[in-house]
Amino acid sequence: MKKTRVLWLTLMSCNGNTHSFLNYPYIEQFLNDFEFIYHPIIDSDYTLEEIISQDIACDILLIEGSVADDFIKAGVPGIDIIKRYAKIVEKIVTVGTCATFGGIFRESNYKDVSGLHFQEERRTDKYNDLFEKTVSISGCPVHPEVLVSTLYAIKKGLSLKLDAYLRPKEYFSYTIHNGCTRNEYFEYKVDNHHFGELEGCMFYDHGCRGPFTHGSCNKILWNEVNSKTRAGLPCMGCTEPSFPKRNIFETKKNMGIPEFLPVGVSKRTYLTLAGITKAFTIDRLEKKLFDD
Amino acid sequence: MIKLIEKIEGEAKLNFSFKDNKIDDVSVDFMSTRHVEDILKGKTPLDALVINPRVCGICGHAHLIATVRALEACYEDIQISNKAKIIRELTLTFELIQNHFKWFYLTIFPFFGVKQEIAKALYPTQLMGKAIAVFGGQYPHTSYAIVGGVVCEVTNMDIIKVQRYIDETTDFFEKNVLSIQNSDLKTLNTLNDLSHVKGDLRDILKKIEQNDWQNLGKSYDRFIAFGESSYFKKGKSIKTRVTQNLAIDDVKETDSTTSFAKSVHYHDQYYEVGPLARAMIGKNPLIKDAHRRYGDSIFTRILARVYEIPQLLEHTKILIESLDLSEPSYIKPEVDISQLNAVGISAVEAARGTLIHKVEIEDLKIKSYEIITPTQWNLCGGHEQNLGVSQKAMIGLDNVKLAEMVFKTFDVCSVCTTH
Amino acid sequence: MNDKKEQKKEQIIVASLHLFATKGFYNTTIPDIALSLKMSVGNMYNYFKSKDLLAKEIIKFVSSYFGRKIKAINEENISTKEKTRKIVEVYFQTALLKPEMIDYFLRIYLSTREVFKEGCEGMICVNDFVTEIMIYFEEGVKCGDLRDQDFFSAFGLFMGYMGGMVFLKGENVLPKELDQYIDDVSSNIYKALSA
Repeated sequence: MKKTRVLWLTLMSCNGNTHSFLNYPYIEQFLNDFEFIYHPIIDSDYTLEEIISQDIACDILLIEGSVADDFIKAGVPGIDIIKRYAKIVEKIVTVGTCATFGGIFRESNYKDVSGLHFQEERRTDKYNDLFEKTVSISGCPVHPEVLVSTLYAIKKGLSLKLDAYLRPKEYFSYTIHNGCTRNEYFEYKVDNHHFGELEGCMFYDHGCRGPFTHGSCNKILWNEVNSKTRAGLPCMGCTEPSFPKRNIFETKKNMGIPEFLPVGVSKRTYLTLAGITKAFTIDRLEKKLFDD
Repeated sequence: MIKLIEKIEGEAKLNFSFKDNKIDDVSVDFMSTRHVEDILKGKTPLDALVINPRVCGICGHAHLIATVRALEACYEDIQISNKAKIIRELTLTFELIQNHFKWFYLTIFPFFGVKQEIAKALYPTQLMGKAIAVFGGQYPHTSYAIVGGVVCEVTNMDIIKVQRYIDETTDFFEKNVLSIQNSDLKTLNTLNDLSHVKGDLRDILKKIEQNDWQNLGKSYDRFIAFGESSYFKKGKSIKTRVTQNLAIDDVKETDSTTSFAKSVHYHDQYYEVGPLARAMIGKNPLIKDAHRRYGDSIFTRILARVYEIPQLLEHTKILIESLDLSEPSYIKPEVDISQLNAVGISAVEAARGTLIHKVEIEDLKIKSYEIITPTQWNLCGGHEQNLGVSQKAMIGLDNVKLAEMVFKTFDVCSVCTTH
Repeated sequence: MNDKKEQKKEQIIVASLHLFATKGFYNTTIPDIALSLKMSVGNMYNYFKSKDLLAKEIIKFVSSYFGRKIKAINEENISTKEKTRKIVEVYFQTALLKPEMIDYFLRIYLSTREVFKEGCEGMICVNDFVTEIMIYFEEGVKCGDLRDQDFFSAFGLFMGYMGGMVFLKGENVLPKELDQYIDDVSSNIYKALSA
């Protein structure tokens, strides 16, 4: 079967998605099925200079990094490279949160920094003609398996169900909360989390955005072994348009009541359930997990 | 002539001028930046722990550790458990190791008529990533080191798991890179001791000798390292003379008119940082012998970097054994960091050398943040009277391809350099 | 059928509230309540298996009554100041028109804890009411009207003040009718809580 030709274009980025991709355990298999006409690290048949000055045959354009009109890549505006290849390719994939929503470098000093189609939640309408052929895979960085499997789905011609931000629902309909090993502390409102412990939930005090952040971090683990919330680090909502929020390690509360609640759960429902569960003390969850 | 240097976490432009068929001058320009230091201004201090790993996708963990130490340096007195210190050192070391593997197999290999060894680069890289993730939840871009310690609690089973990753990486290194048992490293004291050792490193060194490149890429023979750890020493080495007295305040940055990268100097002089600098300051016998023979050339530089891998692996084994799991991972600081009005400065040894962070906190916010990366030390351009380290190493070469190789032996990371 | 049963339950609750308020909780027996409704004692037990269970149902009834009233206020598109006034108004009007309800809450629920220990842990039986107060607070802070603080310090101020006024009224020491105090009390509460 013919290899699918992919251009990995990095714009305003830390290259974290590039390196996260390199954590995909079966890259050699991947490279049997795909070939990079350009990749920021892996050798390719073309130089960047050739890529930006010619129309090289290509099937999928991957964009990593935030987009800004005045961001220059190898002497040419980054958006010119996008436009050149957008015409050629069948699909465009925005890789990571920067390319999807603008991400962390939204606050850099360039003009009007955004993702390809979104500036945070807002549709930019700049590249409307490309909207139909775009798939977004947000995350800071992107999860290697989510990226690779999506590329295979495109190669197979599957019709992907996408959410409003063009993210594959199969990965982004879950919340980070799903599968977190600290779930019980959330369910039963045991709200005394301290850093450095196996026990407790970071939602109440330490800014965990897991219950209202879409992604599969606790379903498809990171580096195949762990996740931030399992390790005790609050979810920072890195797959979402608003990433990065301010005061990341702190839960925004009004009169002690969290401002942001599990996605799709009304405040009244949440508070009613919380009121009930908080009334009970679950001895097992008050104790250390491994105490004798 | 202008050469675009690619696949360096971005690009750089080298502008060469030749005289008598030799490179007579070269300017080094990094063409874009992301203004990370500006992004940090006005933020809550702890938010820097999330933003700074995003300076760089390949050495972001060093930025995390530098950030947490700079923030902690804002305290007159802050208690960090020994356990947390060891865990931080472990994860930082794992990052160094994986960076070294990637550089050797992906960046250096293609200069020697061999294709990139993707599988060899990524197998140990992924193992080290897993080891970091056990503590930090994920790699890249964890923020697990926070002011007061680390967020994770570690169990005996975690330790056992991480030890297997270390063993497997060691095994991989011995089978592929240098066919000598790590436990026998101490028997390697001279280049002659290397002669019956096999492996990919040996092959590359042989090719350097066959091509008669042993003396290419020499620079000032001045080295510096500010990051101290249980393994690395702080100091500078000038033509093998090592001194330990360094004042971090005397490290200065200068803006460039053509490049987004600021050059960095110590007492107005440029110094090389990185594994070779660390080996010279740490007086590693094998590297000292290579240096005695070939000076600060690409031979010594490549050897020093790859040879750091087994030593770091050995060190992580000792570190992990010294963990006392009964200690707390995190001790809540008595005063919240945002309440301080203070300046904190830190230096850590990242894969490519000394990384310095400096934070100023005022009125609950970050007032200013300064980041000095290893690649700024090594790669930034100076001017004719005072050339940068990599510039000096390229002068006198007779072709651009060789110059690119020399340039890349310093391991360029464009995103770090301009941040 | 079920609706009918619910209606009957409500009748029992209303009758019980009256009896508890006049005779006292301990002095009222299930036969007393049955008698007041002209029901057989046996039939009473079809609805409530014990006086303790009845007691818990009553507090839930009272809480849900206030919950519904405050929910309606919460859903109005008015300022937090106006909401504050309306909540105080609901509370005082209820104390005026249905004093047995507030009486039950203050004199029985809060001071007969042994009855409510099991089944009414924490604030479960007053959840409907507390949830709405929480929403009133949360939205007040979010829109910038109220000062952010610990929930209970605000809740205590609100409930303690209103309960205190009703208590004084019950002790016949208030010179004016309760509704004469709505403006001052709500304005005091709002001033104390506002940003």
